[in-house]
Amino acid sequence: MKRRTSQMIIGSAMSVAAIAVAIDHTRHSVPEPVARVQNDSNMATSTDSDSPCGLGASPCGLGGESPCGLGADVSPCSL
Amino acid sequence: MNRTIDYGSAVISAVAIAAIAIFLLEAFGLRQSLLFLLGAGLGIALFHAAFGFTGGWRVFIRERNSEAVRAHILLLLFCTFLFFPLLGGVIPGLHPGAALAPVGYSVLVGAFLFGIGMQLGGGCGSGTLYTMGQGQVDMLITLIFFIVGATVGSIHLNWWLDLGGIGPVSIIKSAGWQLALILQLAVLVFLYFLVRWLDRRRNRPAISQHMAVQPAFLSRLIQGPWPYSWGVVALTLFALLTLLLAGHPWSITFAFGLWGAKIWSALGGDISTWTYWNSGYPGQAVQSSVLADITSVMDFGLILGAMLAAALAGKYAPAMTLTARRVLAAVIGGLLLGYGARLAFGCNIGALLAGISTGSLHGWLWMIAAFIGNIVGVQARVTLGMDKPWRMQHEAAY
Repeated sequence: MKRRTSQMIIGSAMSVAAIAVAIDHTRHSVPEPVARVQNDSNMATSTDSDSPCGLGASPCGLGGESPCGLGADVSPCSL
Repeated sequence: MNRTIDYGSAVISAVAIAAIAIFLLEAFGLRQSLLFLLGAGLGIALFHAAFGFTGGWRVFIRERNSEAVRAHILLLLFCTFLFFPLLGGVIPGLHPGAALAPVGYSVLVGAFLFGIGMQLGGGCGSGTLYTMGQGQVDMLITLIFFIVGATVGSIHLNWWLDLGGIGPVSIIKSAGWQLALILQLAVLVFLYFLVRWLDRRRNRPAISQHMAVQPAFLSRLIQGPWPYSWGVVALTLFALLTLLLAGHPWSITFAFGLWGAKIWSALGGDISTWTYWNSGYPGQAVQSSVLADITSVMDFGLILGAMLAAALAGKYAPAMTLTARRVLAAVIGGLLLGYGARLAFGCNIGALLAGISTGSLHGWLWMIAAFIGNIVGVQARVTLGMDKPWRMQHEAAY
């Protein structure tokens, strides 16, 4: 496979991916930037010391809305 | 050394990085934009330092060349040194999360499959992304099936978890961060000297071929190649910044399952019965823009960063021979990588690096199981004719 062919294949794949991301993005509402910072609970801290993702008072999420929580047992933090 | 910058690809990737960073800044705020740029930095570091786990583990298994493996251990060591105190709460008000996951059959089987997939697919989580960003078509195939595997794995995960285990174990929580830090550093130092000893026992003097030619500093910084030491420092720094900014360690493969679930849903598939994607953060992520997911955004940055680095090095989209055998290995390897990563709660980054450096016992289990998987994978490469038998090769050298 020549270099030009590789470039075309990868370039096409990236273009398709970019279009897919754009379509996906437009299908979902975007939160206000300020509100998002305040509500960054998808990655933020909580005080639940029993969280599987956290140590002491420092879990990385809020219960069921946490990236660390699949139920209460496992931690997609590690994905 | 003849290294011509691929200006076209360099400009395209640089403009794409800048445009996406600005868009994320406008749409999601500064943090998301910075995390994307961190991803780009990781891609540059991974490419320039050729910081691959797959090749490094393979040459260690085949030739006992420990140079890359020692770099991996140093990365774990530095991250442990920095992360443990942070997780222990030494800085008031700063409470990043650990990459804790349950220790059980799911991780054991998943990491073993992932290890085989590494060798067949030709990359790990980070390696697949940065070599695809470099423009390697075979790695694009691996990535596509990585996504398929991760998606299927997410459907089966609960079944594997039901097989049992001892749940998440934090050695920081169990032993206190100070004692845990000392113990883990001791184990890592022991491992470092063990692999070095194994190397020197077989290869005298220790093989060091990573940086045979050393160009001028600035040229080296921009165009590479970097020595492993630069890679270790850069990756440690970027991993630390990720922990501080994101609130959790660097991760890669969660996004692959997310992309798969979104694609399946967009194609009209029903994901309402997929338990994993209907609760907690995964459920939230699948209902939001993919650009709201930190892991996805960092992965996009990593690919574009690697593309920029490859263009600067004049190595973007290399010519290659793509045989049917290589395609088959990429398909099988990609499926094993994705399925394994999902079961094992991460890849070499999300489980090995993030798990171990934040005190999760599952990271150590992952390391052992994945290494055994790599041994099987290295043998599978020989069986498939991708590599020569290493014993014969070794004997031929004498």
